[in-house]
Amino acid sequence: MGTNRKGFTVSLLLTMSMLLAACGGNGNTKGTPDAGSTGAPGTGAEATAAAEPVKLEFWTIALQPTFNDYFNNLITQYEGSHPGVTVEWKDYPYDAISQRLLTSTASGKSPDVVNLNTEFASQLGSKGALLNLNEYLTDEQAKSYFEGIYNSTVFDGKAYALPWYTGTEVLFMNKKLVEKAGLDPANPPQTREELVEWARQVHEKTGAAGYAQQLVSKLFPIDGIQILNEDKTAAAFNTPEAEAMITQIRDLMKEGVVLKEDADFSKQIQYFSGEQVAFQLSGPTFINFIKTSAPDVYKNTIAVPLPTGKANLRLSNSMNLVVPQKSKNPQQAVEFAAFLTNAENQTAFSKVANTLPSSKASIQDPFFTDSDGSLEAEAKVASSQSLDKATDYMVGVPSAADINSALARGLQEILMNGADIKETLNKVEKEVNNIISQGS
Amino acid sequence: MYKGFRSESFTAWAFMAPGLLFLAVFTFWPIIYGIPLSLTDYSVITETKYVGLDNFTRAFQDHNFLISLWNSLVYVLIVPVIQIISILMAILVNSRIPGVKMFRAAYYIPVVTSMVAVALIWSWLLGNNGVVNYLLLKAGIISEQVSWLSTSSTALYVLMFITMWKGLGYYMMLYLAGLQGIPADLYEAARVDGAGPLRLIVHVTLPLLRPHILFCTLISVMGAIRVFDEVYILTKGGPGTSTLTSSVYIFQKGLEQFNFGYASALGLIVSLMVGALSVLVFRLNRKGGVNSY
Repeated sequence: MGTNRKGFTVSLLLTMSMLLAACGGNGNTKGTPDAGSTGAPGTGAEATAAAEPVKLEFWTIALQPTFNDYFNNLITQYEGSHPGVTVEWKDYPYDAISQRLLTSTASGKSPDVVNLNTEFASQLGSKGALLNLNEYLTDEQAKSYFEGIYNSTVFDGKAYALPWYTGTEVLFMNKKLVEKAGLDPANPPQTREELVEWARQVHEKTGAAGYAQQLVSKLFPIDGIQILNEDKTAAAFNTPEAEAMITQIRDLMKEGVVLKEDADFSKQIQYFSGEQVAFQLSGPTFINFIKTSAPDVYKNTIAVPLPTGKANLRLSNSMNLVVPQKSKNPQQAVEFAAFLTNAENQTAFSKVANTLPSSKASIQDPFFTDSDGSLEAEAKVASSQSLDKATDYMVGVPSAADINSALARGLQEILMNGADIKETLNKVEKEVNNIISQGS
Repeated sequence: MYKGFRSESFTAWAFMAPGLLFLAVFTFWPIIYGIPLSLTDYSVITETKYVGLDNFTRAFQDHNFLISLWNSLVYVLIVPVIQIISILMAILVNSRIPGVKMFRAAYYIPVVTSMVAVALIWSWLLGNNGVVNYLLLKAGIISEQVSWLSTSSTALYVLMFITMWKGLGYYMMLYLAGLQGIPADLYEAARVDGAGPLRLIVHVTLPLLRPHILFCTLISVMGAIRVFDEVYILTKGGPGTSTLTSSVYIFQKGLEQFNFGYASALGLIVSLMVGALSVLVFRLNRKGGVNSY
């Protein structure tokens, strides 16, 4: 028995030491692009024949089976103009793609082109896991996207993602409640201050609240408060302006003008469907949910451009295409990503998917300028014409996910748990600075 | 005799092998692998560096982690409550009243319901305009709507209640099995000696349920510290850090922010804590510790 136990301990120690030795060699091979592969890629118009057959693995988030025809058609088109290149398209649910990417990267089978949201792309880019696309793109290509959106994943002059389809927020109004409050929906509020006044009046006259919102970091940039300093080396949000902004939200919650709730998107849908709020600030996807959950409310809803905050900007919420650092075919991968996100293909995708494009040339299309009066068309025109003002709120923020969660937690502490504003801001500032210094 | 034992143990091992293999690959190996990982800054996507004990020193300076440990310890408070209620429930459903089987089934339904479904149902019930607020307002117990899951003073306790509600039936079944193993003549002998129903419970039932109480307490302590599903689905640790439990924090650090090295270190710390608490439970249940005879 005694020897058995000894043997076990020895073998466990041996195993551990082997593991310790092994983990030094974990994923250390940095995939560097081949020398001479920094030529600008074609956008798919001209053919670049691959010397050897290349198989690109392309991942998207929740686009199958709805858009199978669109993508299969594009892939066929691309393969036709790029002899020797084949594209294998895989689609994963939103929640699963990050895990998939990690596991495939860990096992040395990285995909070549991946669809990610801005937060995740920033997180991976700042950790050095994505290819710097500036080495591959021409100036003309880089400038073909809306600047605010393109720059959201640029750090230290390195562009880590190509913007793809996007959405900006619009203001949805429950016409019945607004009219009941004696307000005129034909002259909607233009600024946040006006929106607050409207919300107050709705609350006084109808008992419903103005709106519900999620307590997230974007509340800072909406009011022109920078989350980080210019060179992204330290927190910059701990300012009197931030205190004033949070104080105002706290007072509005006390008044009942804004719901005292950290309401995620599904809760916001519930509140608007139940006519407990008169306004909703979100992207056009909101329409589909309202249509199914509350058809009567849907009939009574109108969409207008989102009132801007002090910063006079509108936030976009974009999907991007990235090329992982470990892709074995970086050159072809960037070419394919550029092809998918060029103006022509983005316009076509917007038409089938009812999303907004991130390429400047696309919004000249009549699809984005003409409205037939339906809620969907109104929302589309209102949001597409504000794209030039759009910026993603995590512009160039490294470790975006970590910083976002620290800020969100701080806001919840103050607004839901009644913590002291200044004290909490100091604490979160320290936490964010730690995140930046640790690079994690 | 020896030969018989050999073949018998071989058969036993053969039967256990598939399960053990599964456990080895998906449980033991990750636990062992977590130890070296905790000494690195492993994140899958970037180069891995050996950082020594940095992750552990960082953990004890990490305000959020300390809060999550505290919340997990607070969560352990539900253990005695669950045990007491489930023992009482087991005693009730052990009686021979008509329709008792229906009650057994009813109490057990939450156990077999998926936690995701349970969490979603409770989130509707506890919503601002949910049934709970409606009933309490009607009864005059509260004067205005309470956001049960978005208020720091109530969120953690509400989650504990949901965990308890779902777990009661499970422990009740375990205790029921224990109760049915108690010989009836012990009760008869006690009755002859003039014991009433309460004395029967205190002097016969509870002492003989001791092994079951030990087992149930142990797994429910572990369950309470490792609680994840209901917290992640309903509050994600919010508002602020009021319901941040250690499992949720480890998950966020590892699988949401890719700090696997740091998350492994946190996991080890929590495992040691669970180990220490388990030892404590064993100690408290030692015969001669609390003698109820």
